[in-house]
Amino acid sequence: MPVIETKNLVRRFGGTTVLRGIDLRVEEGEIFGLIGPSGAGKSTLLRTLTGYLKPTEGEVRVFGRPPEKFGTEERRRLGVMPQKFVLYENLSVKQNLNFVARLYDLSFFERRRKVREALEFVELWEHRRKAAGNISGGMQRRLQLAAAIVHSPRLLFVDEPTASLDPILRRRFWDEFVQLREQGRTLFVTTQYVDEAARCDRVGFLANGTLAALGTPDELRRQAFGGEVLELTLGGEPGQVSWSLSFLKDIGHVVEVREDEEAAEGPVSHARLIVDDADVAMPQVFSALNGADVRSVDILKPSFDEVFFRLVRGNS
Amino acid sequence: MRSMRILSSWSRTRAVAVKEFWDLVRQPQLLLLLLLGPVLIMVAFALSFQTENILPRAVVVVEEGSEGEELFREYRDRFTVRTQFQGVLRSVEEADALLRRGETDAVIIIPPEPSETVLQGEQAVLRVHYATINPVFGTTVPNRANGLVLDLNQQIVRAGVTREIENLRQARRQFEEINEIAAQINAAAEALASEEAQGLTAELYTALTSLESTLIVLENEAEGPSEELGTAIDRTREARELVQEFREAQKEGAEEIKARTGALELERALSELGASIGEVPDVPPSVLVNPFRLELENLVAFEPEVVEFYVPGVLGILIQHIAISLASLAIVRERTSGAYEFFEVSPLGPGEILSGKFLTYAGMVLAVNLAVAAALIYSLNIPVQSSYLMVAAVMVLLTVASLGFGFLLSALARSQLQAIQLAMLHLIASGFFAGFLFPLEEMTQPAQGISHFLPATYGIRALQDTMLRGTAISPWDLGGFAAIALVSFALAWLLMRRRKI
Repeated sequence: MPVIETKNLVRRFGGTTVLRGIDLRVEEGEIFGLIGPSGAGKSTLLRTLTGYLKPTEGEVRVFGRPPEKFGTEERRRLGVMPQKFVLYENLSVKQNLNFVARLYDLSFFERRRKVREALEFVELWEHRRKAAGNISGGMQRRLQLAAAIVHSPRLLFVDEPTASLDPILRRRFWDEFVQLREQGRTLFVTTQYVDEAARCDRVGFLANGTLAALGTPDELRRQAFGGEVLELTLGGEPGQVSWSLSFLKDIGHVVEVREDEEAAEGPVSHARLIVDDADVAMPQVFSALNGADVRSVDILKPSFDEVFFRLVRGNS
Repeated sequence: MRSMRILSSWSRTRAVAVKEFWDLVRQPQLLLLLLLGPVLIMVAFALSFQTENILPRAVVVVEEGSEGEELFREYRDRFTVRTQFQGVLRSVEEADALLRRGETDAVIIIPPEPSETVLQGEQAVLRVHYATINPVFGTTVPNRANGLVLDLNQQIVRAGVTREIENLRQARRQFEEINEIAAQINAAAEALASEEAQGLTAELYTALTSLESTLIVLENEAEGPSEELGTAIDRTREARELVQEFREAQKEGAEEIKARTGALELERALSELGASIGEVPDVPPSVLVNPFRLELENLVAFEPEVVEFYVPGVLGILIQHIAISLASLAIVRERTSGAYEFFEVSPLGPGEILSGKFLTYAGMVLAVNLAVAAALIYSLNIPVQSSYLMVAAVMVLLTVASLGFGFLLSALARSQLQAIQLAMLHLIASGFFAGFLFPLEEMTQPAQGISHFLPATYGIRALQDTMLRGTAISPWDLGGFAAIALVSFALAWLLMRRRKI
């Protein structure tokens, strides 16, 4: 049974439709990344999944039940890290976490242990006595993460955890998410940073309220480019290179051949091949280019910026 | 299972209460404001409130050498008692200029010839100029001026009555003298009607009859007519006839004698005069002028001074305002910060949020206000007519109702600014409609209707009852507190539940 499942989920605010027929499944123990530009509907989808908002149409099930009908027990299995810092600046780091732990009915000893574990996990134990208002923005985010995991939820919703953070801190967050997944937790993470999709097990691209693409990072690359991408570097005059490339179009596994004229550096030319399966296509490409000055053939992992751009453009 | 749920719920409620407590305690400036602010306000109020009547400064304008000036000199003390008398001016323009510059509060203009006006059948006008825009508390000059005119009229009437009474006494004395003479006449008439007098008159009549007969004989015997005898006979006859007439009157009695002599008419006239003069009242002119005197008796056990009277009101408003200020931000702050969304996903329910916040705020508001009340009672010697426990009970009830109302405002507000505005509006409404500034019983609808929705209405009245009247909280006020608290908490809870959109 999937941890999260939506069927034809529609959410409207007045006359504005924010989510349009979202079909989604998130399996237990995976990091699901929801990526999309600002205003795409990521937070609305997350809020609907947590039960804070009701769906206008369609069906939402988390742990097999509509989340807006969750009782205390089901809520104990959820953890939420909101987009902004919502804890209390006048309280110390530890007081904040103690407060959240109490909300989840942790006993005194359990609370002591789990608060410490959570603070150590986000590396804030040494700062536990500081007022939350006196720690840095990055630390506040980590405190918020600690608050989301202090009760060891099975499912963790994380709303744009790395927004406005520096790359080092972003990387740290994702390392922590991976650790949490390794502990057997399911994570639903929204982000604007397309490159973070690579850290997810599966990714959904949300654009204009529609799930434009859904799959593993590799599947999405394929979806965006129509297959895998091989980058070819050839020596020789441009005309000669074009002649050599023309042979590739007849290979069955090659979907598209594109010479990159802008990247040409004197006698060296570049081309991209879209192939349905790189492992199968590679020997055939070498064979077809027999006699040409092939300098290198690499399997290219295009950036998710590009993947995302292509998917959104294709969707629109 | 059920007891476990209750324990869990209590644990979450306590978590919210503890969080709120530390959140407040970690804001020393807020605590200082909460604690010191009300105390300072109360002390400043007690120290600066004027309990004595304020006399307006006044100048008098009167024409030199006029009757008005004489009048002013005669009754000058009346002017100086009613005002802070600044002096006499001759020009109204000059005096009005002082008024406009704020150097005086009133210009009293005395008419030059008041008697002349009065003799023409009109009232003499004492004009008073003043300058105020406050229709409620700016009535000092009109009130004092009214008092001055009443006072002057009274003084003048008193002098006139004294003079008239003296004249009446004089007339009465003269009348008494005339009455004495009339009495003597009466006595004479009585004497004339006595049997002895009748005998004497009969003898006189007989003697006159004999004399007349003798004279007639003499005349007949005389040679020739005698003028002297003729005259003597005529005179004797007249005398006899008069005596006869008098004898007849004597027979009728003294009244007939008085009637024939005009004494009766004199008596009647004197009687009428006596009735018209009347008795000279044996009462002082001041009593005659003011036959009634006002004697007030306040049946309450304790009559407070102005500051003492206002203390329950200020305390009630302070409790309500601190409670509503804290509570009105409670929910909306969590909502706008995003914490509420965090709570919504957690096991924490709206009832637990409200209860937890309530526990801390109630404790805090009560602690602050008990400190304020203690400071007032002991440092300013504000008396408590019932028991301290009763006053504390009212404070608890007012706190509970106010917190409920504050939570409701907070659940309704969409932003913190809106919540603050709602709390301020409520404070202003309480100032006007809760019986703090103006007595509720002197107001009509819609003010009376609005007052029912303000916790301070019940709070001020209940604090006045317990602190000043020495009575217990009335059932009506208890009902008011309970209704506001129950309805507010229920509505706030429902609104928080329904906010899931």
